[in-house]
Amino acid sequence: MRGAPRRLTRTEARSARAASGFLLPFLALFLLCFIAPIGYALYESLLKVERTGPLGLGGETKQVWAGLSNYAHALEDDRFTAGFGRVLLFGAVQIPVMIAFATGLALLLDAASARWVGFFRTAFFLPYGVPGVIASILWGFLYVPGISPLVEMAHSVGWNVDFLGRGAVLWSIANIVTWQFTGYNMLVLIAQLKAVPGELYEAARIDGASAWQVARHIKLPLIRPALVLTTVFSLIGTLQLFAEPKVLKPLSNSIDSGYTPNLAAYNEAFTSNNQHIAAAEAVLLALVACVLSFGFLRLVGQRGKDGESG
Amino acid sequence: MARWNTWTHGTPRRAVLGGAAAAAAGFALAGCGSDDDGGDEPKGRKKGEKITLTFWSWVPGIDKPVALWNSKNPEVRVKVEKVSAVDGAQYAKMHAAIKAGNPPDLGQIEYPVVPSFLIDNGLLDLTKYGVADHKDKFIGWQWQQSVFGKAVYAVPQASGPMGLFIRQDLFDKWGIEPPTTWDEYEAAATAIRKKGAWIETFSATNGNRFAGLAWQAGARWFGTEGDTWTVSIDDEPTRKVADYWYGLVRRKLIKTIPDRQNAWYKDVQTGDMASWLGASWGDALLVGNAPKTAGKWRVVPMPQWKKGEAAYANWGGSTTAVFAKSEYPKDALAFAIWLNTDPESIKLLIENGYGTPGAKQGYTTSQLDVHKDFFGGQEYSEVFDEASKGVDTSWKWGPATDTLYQRLGDAFTAAIGDGSDFRSVLKKVQSQTITDLKEKGLQVKAG
Repeated sequence: MRGAPRRLTRTEARSARAASGFLLPFLALFLLCFIAPIGYALYESLLKVERTGPLGLGGETKQVWAGLSNYAHALEDDRFTAGFGRVLLFGAVQIPVMIAFATGLALLLDAASARWVGFFRTAFFLPYGVPGVIASILWGFLYVPGISPLVEMAHSVGWNVDFLGRGAVLWSIANIVTWQFTGYNMLVLIAQLKAVPGELYEAARIDGASAWQVARHIKLPLIRPALVLTTVFSLIGTLQLFAEPKVLKPLSNSIDSGYTPNLAAYNEAFTSNNQHIAAAEAVLLALVACVLSFGFLRLVGQRGKDGESG
Repeated sequence: MARWNTWTHGTPRRAVLGGAAAAAAGFALAGCGSDDDGGDEPKGRKKGEKITLTFWSWVPGIDKPVALWNSKNPEVRVKVEKVSAVDGAQYAKMHAAIKAGNPPDLGQIEYPVVPSFLIDNGLLDLTKYGVADHKDKFIGWQWQQSVFGKAVYAVPQASGPMGLFIRQDLFDKWGIEPPTTWDEYEAAATAIRKKGAWIETFSATNGNRFAGLAWQAGARWFGTEGDTWTVSIDDEPTRKVADYWYGLVRRKLIKTIPDRQNAWYKDVQTGDMASWLGASWGDALLVGNAPKTAGKWRVVPMPQWKKGEAAYANWGGSTTAVFAKSEYPKDALAFAIWLNTDPESIKLLIENGYGTPGAKQGYTTSQLDVHKDFFGGQEYSEVFDEASKGVDTSWKWGPATDTLYQRLGDAFTAAIGDGSDFRSVLKKVQSQTITDLKEKGLQVKAG
């Protein structure tokens, strides 16, 4: 491909200029809104505050170099590390369940005999349009004993359920997240299903494949990229869980201030006013999200290749 | 404290956006390499110059006295900006604004939180502007809450001496006497439980009230020795309090739901909870959230550890503080003093639910009985007035109370969850608090 260097023709030069002209706004915003805050968080995470004066009152407040001590502090805080364990457990259960639901719905709506496809697609997608905070408030009403008709009904049949109790509240949050995002993931999967060429189905039918066999051997393998994508998005979303536990916290005596890593970082920054430790926690959270997403991509990439060769 | 029932609490999105904005502003500062130490002198107002002061508050109806001030002081206009008081959102906003270098002139700050602004050099030492001349206008212990060393950092507005709200009709029906001691309280809890209702809840996340209970028992969580802070959360009086409530929780004589949330309001409305250990500002809260129970409530003094004693405590209450960055500190202070001492202003504050005034004069106790009918005609403010006199004035707050409440909430949450006793909570929070203060760059030791 690469030939001897040559000068650009006038048209080429113009289109290069045009391209950079179009790219510039994006790059400027990307730098300002994405790279700069990350850089600032990294910078903040390496500083700490030193106070002088009697009792630390009224004296000088200086920011000094802290090395990695904020990171050490974050990792020693069992509240923060417990939050990681919690979201990982959450992800291990909630993501497969949600993706399975989304896949099931997508396949059903894509089936030849499906009716009212447009209506159901919109209906399933609708919860995604509700902001996370509002969704949590709505579900909160359904979880609070004394207010919730669900709890009342459960009690009337002798089931003493406490959705906000210690064992249950994580799964009550999982329920909100599943409710919200199943439809969204379903839509991504449907989009990919629509891209499957019709001839494949035709050939399968001629070969006498049942609808189930078509789904199992044609549709599922072909939407694999979409499945990987939705799983990675869900993984990142799970690690960043924030709105749901934050909204439910005042209602439950089972959610502590470090229930998820994001909540811990928020409280460190805005309740305790320790921005530097919060920055370190945020950086750690980003690192774990990176490692897990790329790790997952690598894992499925490898398996994909094995599948092809085998 | 979040006094009003709000389901719109948290507004995390706004808080996050605020944080992002603050971070961006902070970045701009860092980029310019300006190290803000606040050393520059305030501008001050020239004679005849018209200025506007901004005032962050969440108190309902605060705009009424402010409007009165504005009509009398056309040159020094005050603009109220409402902030959310849920889950400490207002302080998050104030801390972020201080960090970003653009705080308002004045702010509503609760007593326990004043020190956490001091270690950020966020508040102005008002002694430079003659605040000491007004000392005698305020109730001594409320004034002392904002005094550190020789400096005075805030003007008292109101406090929340504690008292016991009871459903007199239910107590009468069940033949139970209102408890005057903690032993009687436990007996009442047992008796009420037998009737199928509950006396109260122990809310794991309410560190504020727990501090009040320890305060009554004679605890001193924070102190100072020279330049060093002392922390003694795990002391004998607090252990006594912790053991007592642990006993009630373990024997299931008390609920453990969060207070002042929907389930709690429901229990208050239905009488499933027959009392509430609250504070003087709680009258408006009950009236607002359980209007159908009007006439059935009474207020009795907080139960005592020993019969005949008169030890009380405070829960909540707040000040008007001037931020260090204010360009017109003299005018801001003048407004803060007027707001909290002028009889007309106090009258307007009382009408909107206010607590027990920090001012000594300018009102009568009977004026505070705004919701007399709700309490069956009882002059209930006398109970709180009495309590106010019995508050141990030597209690001091530490420099990171928000963090402390959070630590207490987390530890009580864990203890109620796994059934471990409350002494373990005190031990844990004691050591965590010492670490937290060290992390803030302060000198600290166990008291």
